Amino acid sequence: MHIGDTPQEAAFRAEARAWLEAHASLRDPAAPAQEMDLATHVGHCRTWQATLAEHGWAGITWPAEFGGRGGSAIQSAIFGEEQARFDVATGAFAVGIGMVGPTLIAHGTPDQQERFLGPMLRGDHIWCQLFSEPGAGSDLASLGTRAERTDGGWIVNGQKVWTSLGQFADWGILLARTDPTVPKHAGITYFCLDIASSGIEIRPLTQITGVAHFNEVFLTDVFIPDENVIGSIGDGWSVARTTLLSERSFIGSGTGQWGVDDLIETARRLKRSDDPVVRQGLAAAVCRARTLDYLGLRLRTAMSQGRMPGPEMYVMKLAYAKHWAATADTAMAILGMSASLGDFSPTAASHHIEGDDRWPSMFLTQYAIRLGGGTDEVQRNIIGEQALGLPREPAADRGVPWKELALR
Amino acid sequence: MNFDLTEDQQVIADLAQQILAGSMDVDRLKAAERGSGWDPEVWSALAEANLVSLCLPETVGGSGMGAIELALVAEALGRNLAPVPLVPTVVTAMAVAEFAESGTHDELLAGVADGSVVLTSALASAGANDPLLPGVRATPTANGWRLEGSKPAVPYAAEAAAIAVPAQLPNGSSLVALVRTGTDGVGLAPEKTTNHQPAAGLTLDTEVSTADVLGTAGDEAAEVTRWLYEHTVAAMCSIQVGVAEGALAMTSSHVTDRQQFGRPLSAFQAVTQRAADAWITTEAMRVTSRNAAWRLGAGLDARRDVAVAAWWATDGGQKVVTACQHLHGGIGADIDYPVHRYFLWGVQNGTVLGAASAHLARLGGLLARS
Repeated sequence: MHIGDTPQEAAFRAEARAWLEAHASLRDPAAPAQEMDLATHVGHCRTWQATLAEHGWAGITWPAEFGGRGGSAIQSAIFGEEQARFDVATGAFAVGIGMVGPTLIAHGTPDQQERFLGPMLRGDHIWCQLFSEPGAGSDLASLGTRAERTDGGWIVNGQKVWTSLGQFADWGILLARTDPTVPKHAGITYFCLDIASSGIEIRPLTQITGVAHFNEVFLTDVFIPDENVIGSIGDGWSVARTTLLSERSFIGSGTGQWGVDDLIETARRLKRSDDPVVRQGLAAAVCRARTLDYLGLRLRTAMSQGRMPGPEMYVMKLAYAKHWAATADTAMAILGMSASLGDFSPTAASHHIEGDDRWPSMFLTQYAIRLGGGTDEVQRNIIGEQALGLPREPAADRGVPWKELALR
Repeated sequence: MNFDLTEDQQVIADLAQQILAGSMDVDRLKAAERGSGWDPEVWSALAEANLVSLCLPETVGGSGMGAIELALVAEALGRNLAPVPLVPTVVTAMAVAEFAESGTHDELLAGVADGSVVLTSALASAGANDPLLPGVRATPTANGWRLEGSKPAVPYAAEAAAIAVPAQLPNGSSLVALVRTGTDGVGLAPEKTTNHQPAAGLTLDTEVSTADVLGTAGDEAAEVTRWLYEHTVAAMCSIQVGVAEGALAMTSSHVTDRQQFGRPLSAFQAVTQRAADAWITTEAMRVTSRNAAWRLGAGLDARRDVAVAAWWATDGGQKVVTACQHLHGGIGADIDYPVHRYFLWGVQNGTVLGAASAHLARLGGLLARS
């Protein structure tokens, strides 16, 4: 056991820091509030992703044969920690680099890897996830979007929802039902969908912060060629598991800061850091943040040793969701009444992403982190089964053909 | 000893619910959010039903009721998310009726009673959590007082004819002055709030006459500040009870209708138990806020009772609306679905009242001093 950088990791960190210093400017916590609309943010993400790729820092854990750096999960985390101190934008590539890439590397054909991984890495293609449906949330495998055979491919009809940044995406990963006569997990196929295809309508969903991060996506007679099926027909669920595991570990990953330094800075600036109740809130936040650090280290250790992470991944996501909510709560108490101010109206021309407004915004979006990538309840059920060895919940729909479920 | 409402009180609660449930719907709420942030028509309907004048003296057209009756109307307001200035207007008018020299403000109060005049109070201060230590300064002049300073997020300030402003005297005591909007040296800058209701930042460099000071300046006037604060907080607690109740009703029906894994969400114990906990919290909020309102109405010392109710309304209220938002899953994130408004109201009430920790600190202080 060794907590802290090994000499090799320290050297990697120094190299990463030197490169970042040469190609980006440091974030200034004291800078005035920045206003940025989503489209501008996405543009910044594309530019930065291209810069990363140009200098060999994109896809740190991807094998070199796919254009990656061939590095370890720990190196990727180290780079993330260093990068977080700089004024750069990365969010729009979370789905592509973090989820689609690993899925294609594991399940794609050489042709698919060739076509998709390069443009993704270089920032040319933004990817979105077309999994959830209005009727299939926690019970994702009950999804009803249909893909039917046609000459040279498939015709897709259905509706998807909670598609992050769908309005900016070039490509999407799509789960659709190709065989309704078998039980729900068995009849699903995994596709890559060109968002420029005809028959796709994307409608942004505005959230309570006024931001339209998510979208509804309506698919009407959309053609997908055979060459864009990932894995085998009817085996989409096992392909999707790779994607979902990447999503959960991504949502639970992050940097060593966890918002705590900013929280303490906010308390100091508003002259609240002498208040004993506030101090307890700050101290509790530090305790949570250190726990997240160590949980993250253990997770990365498993990944860098080539072990599949166990239930600790689900603990990490739950702990992160709790930390997010409790930290925002403490920040709201520090801000006091002014926490009720801030323009979160759908008509707001732009959205503060820095400054004190971000705390109410974080408080208001805490539900998202508890829901996205599997709800708190789903994570706890998995912990019950995998960590404690409890029997699975009885399921009314196990082994029942999907089309009979739909009739119930 | 009887915790039940009287027949008259039940009639008031039913009437308020009937009017608000009958008029507020999602389209009206959306229209208010897109427009001015509030709903003057619903405000008129409440006034016509004598629910605005309820707690004002009969001499100005009121019914002479008190804090508990206001609490019942406020619960209905929260339950239906009605964007109207009930609490700031009625509490400020009650303070004027109670503390201004008799007969000097009858015209203003008659306007409140008939729904044509909105009033408000400037109680919140940025950062600081003690509303009894106002940030505005008052210095004596020949005919009254000079007020200087600023107050953030005064609810309905631009809509109000006058604003009750607590201000600190050079000797450390305080007074409450009724500042007329639209007069020289009274600046208002519109501000956006979490639940989309109107508010404005107030800057003062103005003079008020002695007649517009509620009570007499000095130690006794500090009591007026406390009176205003406690009545406002108690009434906001009642709104929060209604918000929690409305959120939970919508949530119960969602988890009953929504099917996943071949059964309703309500068939999962994790869901049912979280909803049940939210109901227990809501009832704790209801009994503590009604107790606080009753004690205020009865003229009893309610300092601890208000702090207890406020802790439940802030901490408990936010827990309830957070649980309801969570139990709605993804659909709650879409602002076309109405449950998020309860969340926004719950969060805003939780911060405007002062954070839960501030109420605990205040209660702790009261306990330590006794």
